[in-house]
Amino acid sequence: MWCRSHFVLEGLVRVFNKVTVSPVQNFSQTACKNTVVVERWWQVPLAKEGRPPRLHPRRHRIYKLVEDTKHRPPEKLELILTQTVPKFGGRGDTVMVKKSVGRNKLLAEGLAVYPSPENKQMFEEERKMLEGSLEGRRQTSTGELTVKLLKSCHLEVGLRNNVRYELTKEIVCRCFLRRLGMFVPPHALKLPEEPITRWGEYWCEVTVNRLDTVRVPMSVVNFEKPRTRSRKRWQALYGKPEPEESAQPESERPAKDP
Amino acid sequence: MPLHKYPPRIWEMLKMKQGIYARLPQHYLRSLQPPPPTPVHWRPLGVKYRLNPKTKVRERVEDVPIPIYYPPESQKGLWGGEGWVTGFVYANGDKLCPRVKKCWKPQLFLRQLYSEILDHKFDITVTSRTLDLIDAAYGFDFYILKTPKQDLNSKLGMDIKRALLLRLARWNTELYPDDPARRDMVYNKYKKFLIPEEEAEWVGLSLEEAVEKQRLLEYKEPTPKFVSCMENLVQELAVQKLSEPQVVEK
Repeated sequence: MWCRSHFVLEGLVRVFNKVTVSPVQNFSQTACKNTVVVERWWQVPLAKEGRPPRLHPRRHRIYKLVEDTKHRPPEKLELILTQTVPKFGGRGDTVMVKKSVGRNKLLAEGLAVYPSPENKQMFEEERKMLEGSLEGRRQTSTGELTVKLLKSCHLEVGLRNNVRYELTKEIVCRCFLRRLGMFVPPHALKLPEEPITRWGEYWCEVTVNRLDTVRVPMSVVNFEKPRTRSRKRWQALYGKPEPEESAQPESERPAKDP
Repeated sequence: MPLHKYPPRIWEMLKMKQGIYARLPQHYLRSLQPPPPTPVHWRPLGVKYRLNPKTKVRERVEDVPIPIYYPPESQKGLWGGEGWVTGFVYANGDKLCPRVKKCWKPQLFLRQLYSEILDHKFDITVTSRTLDLIDAAYGFDFYILKTPKQDLNSKLGMDIKRALLLRLARWNTELYPDDPARRDMVYNKYKKFLIPEEEAEWVGLSLEEAVEKQRLLEYKEPTPKFVSCMENLVQELAVQKLSEPQVVEK
C-alpha cells in the first residue's frame, strides 16, 4: 500500500506539474538505512530453561538503534582479472576495487571473476606454467606503457671535456634517472660494443621485464654545470647575449681523441 | 458447552498426521520445520553463561530474538534475511520521554543477476546485504544453493533453487545441450550440490503446492463401470464354458 500510494502521488505530481522533476521520492523524513541493528531498551527477565522468554507487551517492543551498516567504512571487493584492463592490471592479477566498480563493470562485463578457491588455483597454475617458459610470458600492462614511453624518449648524456673517461652503464642509468625520471637497472641496459669517449649520436637498448627491447637514441654532449646551463637558459629567454668565450672558454673545445 | 476432542490449537499439527499430508515424502516434511534464521537485525550474545559486567559474577543469559515482519513483497525478491523492524523508540532517545512508533524498512534496489546454470538473467529486488552475501558466496548460483531455506526467506529464491537443482539433476540433457565444454565446466563447478531428481522436485514447494503435487501423483483415472462389468462377464462366460461337458463326436 505504501508503494502504491507512492507511485500514485508521483504520477499525480508529474501530471499536474510537468515542468519540475518529481520531488516526491519518499514519504519518510529520515534517511534511507542499510541493514539496521537494534536492541531493546528494557532488559528481558530470564526465563526458565526451555521456556519461552517472558516479554512485556509494551516495554519490550521499544528499541534502540545500535548500528546502521550504511555508515561502516566502505569495504573493498577482491577480484581476479581475466584480461588486461587499463588502470587495473593484467590477466591473473588480484585487485581490490570499489564494490560498485567491481559489480557493475568488472563482473558485469566479464573482465574479472570472484577469487573462489577453484579460480585462485586455476590462475596460480596458469601463472606457474607461463613462468617456466619465457616465450609464453606476456608483457604486463604497465610494461606496455613503459615501452610506449621509451619509444618516444631521447636521452642526453653529458661528457666532460677536461677528463678522459669512458661512458659506462652506471653513468647512463644515472642520466636516465636525472633527465627522464626513469629507473633503469644496469642489467636491463645495453650500450654499443665500442667504448664511448667522444661526443656524438649513439644508441642504447633498454629491456623491459626481460621481454621487450627498445632502442633509445642517445646523444652524448658536452657536460655543463647546472649553473652554466641555467645561465644559458636565462640568456635565451631574455636575449642578452654575452661573450661566450669569457664565461666558458673551455666548453667550446671538443674532446680530444682517445 | 461441549468440548472438542482435541483443542483447536493443535488441529494444524494433527492435520499433518493424517490423510494426504502424512503421505508426503519424508525429506519434504523435514524441510517444513527449519531451524531459526541467522540473526540479521540484532546481535546475539552467543553464549549461555557470562560474567556480569558489574558484579563479575557468572550468570546465565538468554538470547531473545527481535520479532521481524516479513512483508509479502519480501517473498518476491531476495532481501537477504532483512525485513521490517516495527516497534517503538523513545523520543529524543530519552527514556523519560514518550515512546513513539518506529518502523525500519530495508532499502531496496532492482538488480539484474545472472545465473550460470540456467544461463538466464533475472531482474530481482535485492538489498545491499544480499549483494554482499552474493559476493561472499562467490556468485549468484552459489549463494542460492548454499543458503538454507530459513536464511533465504523468499519464495522466489526457493523457486530459483528448485530450478537450479533440477537443471543440475538433469545435467545430461538440459544443461547447455549445445555446448559440451561449457556443460562439463559448469557441472564440475556445482557438482557438490547435486541431489536426486525426485528430491529436487520438492525443494521449496509451499504446503499447498506439495499437496497438489502429491494428489496428481496419486491420481488414477476412474475406470468406467461397463469395462469392469464386461470383464466380469467375460470371465463368467469362460468359466461357464469350461464347466460344460465337452461333446466329442466319434
